[in-house]
Amino acid sequence: MSVEKNGVHISIQHLEKSFGDIEVLRDIHLEIQPGEFVAIVGKSGCGKSTLLRHVAGLEVVSAGEIKQDYHRINGLNQTARIMFQDARLLPWETVLTNVGIGIGLKKNWKEQAKKALQQVGLEERANDWPSILSGGQKQRIALARALAAQPRLLLLDEPLGALDALTRIDMQELITDLWQQKKFTALLVTHDVSEAIMLADRVVLIEKGKVHMDIQVPLPRPRNRSSAVFAELEEKVLAEVLGKKVGKKDSGQLKRVANE
Amino acid sequence: MKKKNWAKSYDKATPWLLPFLLLVLWQWLSSAGWISSKVLPTPIEVIAAGIQLSANGELAGNIGVSFTRAFIGFMIGGGIGLFLGLLNGIFPVAERYLDATIQMLRNIPHLALIPIVILWFGVGEEAKIFLVIIGVFFPIYINTYHGIRSVDRGLIEMGKVYSLSKWKLFSKIIIKGALPSILVGLRYALGVMWLTLIVAETVAASSGIGYMAMNAREFMQLDIVVLAIVLYALLGKLADSLAKLLERYLLKWNPVYWKK
Repeated sequence: MSVEKNGVHISIQHLEKSFGDIEVLRDIHLEIQPGEFVAIVGKSGCGKSTLLRHVAGLEVVSAGEIKQDYHRINGLNQTARIMFQDARLLPWETVLTNVGIGIGLKKNWKEQAKKALQQVGLEERANDWPSILSGGQKQRIALARALAAQPRLLLLDEPLGALDALTRIDMQELITDLWQQKKFTALLVTHDVSEAIMLADRVVLIEKGKVHMDIQVPLPRPRNRSSAVFAELEEKVLAEVLGKKVGKKDSGQLKRVANE
Repeated sequence: MKKKNWAKSYDKATPWLLPFLLLVLWQWLSSAGWISSKVLPTPIEVIAAGIQLSANGELAGNIGVSFTRAFIGFMIGGGIGLFLGLLNGIFPVAERYLDATIQMLRNIPHLALIPIVILWFGVGEEAKIFLVIIGVFFPIYINTYHGIRSVDRGLIEMGKVYSLSKWKLFSKIIIKGALPSILVGLRYALGVMWLTLIVAETVAASSGIGYMAMNAREFMQLDIVVLAIVLYALLGKLADSLAKLLERYLLKWNPVYWKK
């Protein structure tokens, strides 16, 4: 129990959001257990990023409510940290100071920032300017910044979307490792179904502003992309995302035929 | 090794090559009688005038007076411009009340105020300093305001999500993001500062470089007139070089300023 307490509990009830006449979220219900890793997938424009921004407290709900540890989120969610798609590092500060931003540059931030940098394996870049880093390194720094304050909730807004395939696999492993160590609650928004299954305990599909599917990923970690269960699960979610109704068995057979 | 050193110093000297050749050409044309001494004195005569005026302290005194006017005017005008630029950039309320008025006043050429300024202040120090203040204010104001408005919104949002204090948000993100633009304003303002001073000192003054030139004109001392022009050029270049140095120091994070 004490381990699980590190992450927060999130409960979303009847959440609705419209921008003017456009309804982005319609009657969303979602329970996230402490320490759980939930991935939200969906086509672009389905409202998944808006949902994440609500949990961060960056948007005002039109109706319904979001509770964190049974308290309504009102204004900016101070326990949450976001990792954005673009790293959003300050170009005029060193890598170390950028990580220190995660602790608000308060007392003793340097030591904590150094530790966080070690966790992502970039402590030797502490005094460099961000502009000389590669895209993958920038996202590692952003991850270190997000985790520096030991947040109980990590929100990931397509953080690996702009990275190349190999770097992305590295980052997925790093995120899994750190999540297993720290036991924070994680909410990942992505359009990459395989990434969702690789990382998450649960995959939630949002379509037209509603929860369309919510399935567990019963795979042990470390996960293997080439396992049959992984592939089957990926196909199932993909079929739902694309709106194709394919029978479970058929899809398996189709795949086998295609491979032969 | 020696050859390399020689090449390096040659590289450093290249910008000065053309001015030097022009001086030699000027001297040669004058001494050969192609240019009448009533039109243009020779460079050596100008230098001689400089040495003579330095010897009796007149030159240093006049430069000192001009420099003091420039400095005081620049500090006051630049200070007000910076303050109002920050105020209007950060607080939309202030912008609503003030910006339109400032933009209206900006369209009055400040040198057109010379007659009224002389009526108000006479030909004393206040008149010159007042004109410099007005001239310097607008470029600093506009570039500060524009710099703040164009700070990356994503970075500001990041700072808010990471719950930076208001002061940290201002000092680490807003000011530093606006700094490149503010420095452009500074360099521009330095140019306007000299220009204003030259005109003001030539029209109405009883000391300063411009006065020195006007006085020499009365006695047909062409060498001193040219000396005054050269001095303005040198002082302008000096101010610009200092601003460049400042830019290089404050924006050292920007790859543009890295030496290869």
